[in-house]
Amino acid sequence: MRSKLLALSFAAICTLFSVAASGQSYAITNARIVTVSGATIEKGTVVVRNGLIAAVGANVTAPPDATVLNAGGATVYPGFIDTATNLGVPAAAAGTGGGGPGGGGGGQAAAAAAAAAAQNTSNSNYPAGLRPEVTVSEIIRAGDAQFESNRNAGFTTAVTMGRTGIFPGQSAVIDLAGDSVSAMILKDPFAHHISFATIPGTYPGSLLGTFSALRQIFNDAKRLQDMQKAYAADPRGMPRPGSDRSLEALFPAINRQMPVVFNANRALEINRALDLIKEYNLVGVIAGGQEAWKLSERLKAQNVPVLVSLNFPRRTAAASPDADPESLDILRFRAETPKGPGRLAQAGVKFAFSSGGATSMADFFTNAGKAVENGLSRDAAIRAMTLGAAEILGLSDRIGSIETGKIANLVVIKGDLFGRDKFASHVFVDGKLFEQREPTRAGPGGRGPGGAGPGPGAATASNLGGTYSITIDVPGQPLPATLNLQQQGTAMTGTMVSQLGTSPITNGRATANGFSFTTTVQFGGASIDITVQGTVNGSSISGTVDSPQGNVSFSGTRNPSFSE
Amino acid sequence: MRKTLVFLTIVSLLTISPVLVIGQSKGDLLIKNATVMTASKGTLEATDVLVENGKITRIGKGLTAGSGVRTIDATGKYVTPGIIDAHSHAMVSAINEGSVAVSSMTRIADMLNPTDIGIYRALAGGVTGALLLHGSANPIGGQSSTVKFKFGRPVSEFPIQGAPPGIKFALGENVKRSNFTPQPGQTARYPRTRMGTMEVIRDAFVRAREYKQAWEDFRAKKTRVQPRIDEELQPLVEVLEGKRLVHCHGYRSDEHLNLLRMAEEFGFKIGTLQHGLEAYKIAPEVAKHGAGVSIFADSWSYKLEAYDSIPYNGYILWKNGITVSINSDSGERIRRLNIDAAKMMKYGGVPEQDALRMITLNPAIQLGIANRTGSIDVGKDGDITIWSGHPFSALSLAEMTIIEGDVYFDRAKDRTMRAELAKEKADLEKLDMNRAPGTGGTPPRVPSERNSGDYHDNEDGGNER
Repeated sequence: MRSKLLALSFAAICTLFSVAASGQSYAITNARIVTVSGATIEKGTVVVRNGLIAAVGANVTAPPDATVLNAGGATVYPGFIDTATNLGVPAAAAGTGGGGPGGGGGGQAAAAAAAAAAQNTSNSNYPAGLRPEVTVSEIIRAGDAQFESNRNAGFTTAVTMGRTGIFPGQSAVIDLAGDSVSAMILKDPFAHHISFATIPGTYPGSLLGTFSALRQIFNDAKRLQDMQKAYAADPRGMPRPGSDRSLEALFPAINRQMPVVFNANRALEINRALDLIKEYNLVGVIAGGQEAWKLSERLKAQNVPVLVSLNFPRRTAAASPDADPESLDILRFRAETPKGPGRLAQAGVKFAFSSGGATSMADFFTNAGKAVENGLSRDAAIRAMTLGAAEILGLSDRIGSIETGKIANLVVIKGDLFGRDKFASHVFVDGKLFEQREPTRAGPGGRGPGGAGPGPGAATASNLGGTYSITIDVPGQPLPATLNLQQQGTAMTGTMVSQLGTSPITNGRATANGFSFTTTVQFGGASIDITVQGTVNGSSISGTVDSPQGNVSFSGTRNPSFSE
Repeated sequence: MRKTLVFLTIVSLLTISPVLVIGQSKGDLLIKNATVMTASKGTLEATDVLVENGKITRIGKGLTAGSGVRTIDATGKYVTPGIIDAHSHAMVSAINEGSVAVSSMTRIADMLNPTDIGIYRALAGGVTGALLLHGSANPIGGQSSTVKFKFGRPVSEFPIQGAPPGIKFALGENVKRSNFTPQPGQTARYPRTRMGTMEVIRDAFVRAREYKQAWEDFRAKKTRVQPRIDEELQPLVEVLEGKRLVHCHGYRSDEHLNLLRMAEEFGFKIGTLQHGLEAYKIAPEVAKHGAGVSIFADSWSYKLEAYDSIPYNGYILWKNGITVSINSDSGERIRRLNIDAAKMMKYGGVPEQDALRMITLNPAIQLGIANRTGSIDVGKDGDITIWSGHPFSALSLAEMTIIEGDVYFDRAKDRTMRAELAKEKADLEKLDMNRAPGTGGTPPRVPSERNSGDYHDNEDGGNER
């Protein structure tokens, strides 16, 4: 009897918890509703209940038990979807260390040991970076701070993928809120990803080898599948074909059950990706795709959609009398990129937007606005970050539009979506409400609001400009480099110079105690994107360099400046 | 008018990096009243050449073409076959896979960049086609690509359909990495000696033979286990079967001779010895084997194993009946191959037509494409260069370079285009995204760049020359 009572009260408590978690009902009233799937409702109500959209329309009344949010004429959009991110993937982890086994330099410290450990934790027959069995859902952690800043910008859903390797791992589609990874997942795995990267120090160490290594692994996966089938049908008299997790992970790709997303931005890379997609009859997707418009006909013919990166290229290197002039090709590329989405739409190529590694989510909307100024319709731009994205992800039956029964992923935007003075006041993820107070405008020169960028009140270091001599602790082969940095407010520009060449820095930002930037170095015939984070303390500097081949530290000193 | 329209359409379709987009792609052209150096049947004065649908259809005097066919008055000018470079790395994004000793699985065809400005510069030197080779970091390198420089056309139109496939081999210093500084993270790679190099090649062919046998057994149903499709060994089986040409980088004659002997042991023939700066020492043996040699005219002593070269190398090889070609292996020399051919007349006295052949018909023979290009003959592709004067004069310039009847380089047009491009560039530089951010401190120091037109080492961790 007593135990029965206990059980009952326990059940009651559990119910209460779940109500608190997702059972709350909301009614967003007095809102302009961009449903995306249908006509825009100029003034109406959206009802959210049990994590789903319970009702939407001009004549819908708020249920009595719902918390009413008066939008005051603000616009409700389906939650925005970012189709290519590394959200929640720790820079160090990624499970694909790469980096050759150090040449044996005694005591090459933690980095080498960590890289070796990462290699040894897998029983794969393939080197780190060529392991398609890696899944990002194993790596990400719920509650990552990155989820919050992207959510605050209006994003409810993202494709997240590994950072490093030729196979950065199988991606997942996640909602940007949830107490556990399993609560966040909408689709896992979503796709295989392929970067035209290399594995310095071992094969493939050049872009040439990357293509042959990909061919071989696809050949071998096909053969293993055939042999396993033959063996299952009649094992007698046939040597056991064995098992290989790396190859078996590719079966869904070669059987066209799972898309393969190629990271390819310039026409040259996209063309190469389309060749491989054709050769191995894959369900292909292009991520990056800023020059995809040049290959519209091919993309259409092969039915390959594009996850267009809104991280538009712009010149970041400061003018220097000694610098080489920029090539016409680069100048044209930067000028043409904002016109790309409009051209893809006109050609009838399926596409969605992605942030493409942009560090500021404000750039996402600003650049989507530039695409609109350059020939893309507003509706098509909004579609490319909502329903169009959901279609490519195979999730258009549950997210991407404001329709009854769909997941309550919603965002309330005050101001023009593509303008500078917009603000995501309410974001619903799986029916869970996140509210934001409108940030007070910063002083002159402050960045516009938008819930992105450095957090409110985050002080940034000043006087970071100058020349730094650093040593990057590449296992077995320390790499000296020079950073030439200029600071303007929170923006950092300049170059990184090493024996790998001179590369202009991009996405440079001053942080509380140092700076961060990304850049691209040429190595082994491939372009390698790296992220550098530095902490400046007086005249000394230390930090990390993240690359597809792994994560290494650096340290050095700031060179004294000479006044002439 | 219609041509202009077509031109505009093509430009608007491509709107892209290729600086020059060809005006017509019908492949019809009539060249009038030129001095035609055929490379096959001597020099013909005041002669017309008619190209229709990409092929040379008539050579003679007083030829006429249908209306709409472009006619070029070449009075006082010289016409030669388009130059073919039997050793180039133009338009190749990555040249060496240096991590392994046998990189036969790699394909230069994967790496073609049709927007490489080096192509246009080669066209300006009268070059219409090339053998694009993997670098020389490996005893057995990657699969080569035989292309025509159709600058402005899609990359798929560059490779010559039906050209026999090739593969790069290499011997000597580059292979054993004696002149190579490892990149960060790279370790020493076997082989480290010339004898190790031969072992690697022998071992690869032994494995290729076993692989070939495994497939034959499977096809004969002797086993149920299907062998893997091996990207590394498959091209070597094609070498064993005589279907893939071997182009072998090497300097020392003893090494090249060793390779010829090993090929004979495995029952195949070497296509060309590349560089072969001291091949004159083994000319009779090379002739007996039947290999071609592709050399530099008079470039030597840039490294130890290139010390025994002599400028009479080409002459001696020619005298021994060997098919000799002169290659560039360089983005710079590729524009002056006509002068390198002229040097063969100076050193030893190779006759004019035979010297011309060393940059036209002979490389075509070495690449297995002489049935369709390399000389001005009826039935061959309209791959033609029009020179302002005799091509062996240092004062002459290529005025027009024509591939399959389409003009891909036109010096007169180039001059007007420069102003247009300068204006476009100035306009583009004014755009927001192209403007440099303000300088906040010391300007970045830009170290002087290595001359990438000159080889030795490259970023891929390997060597070319």
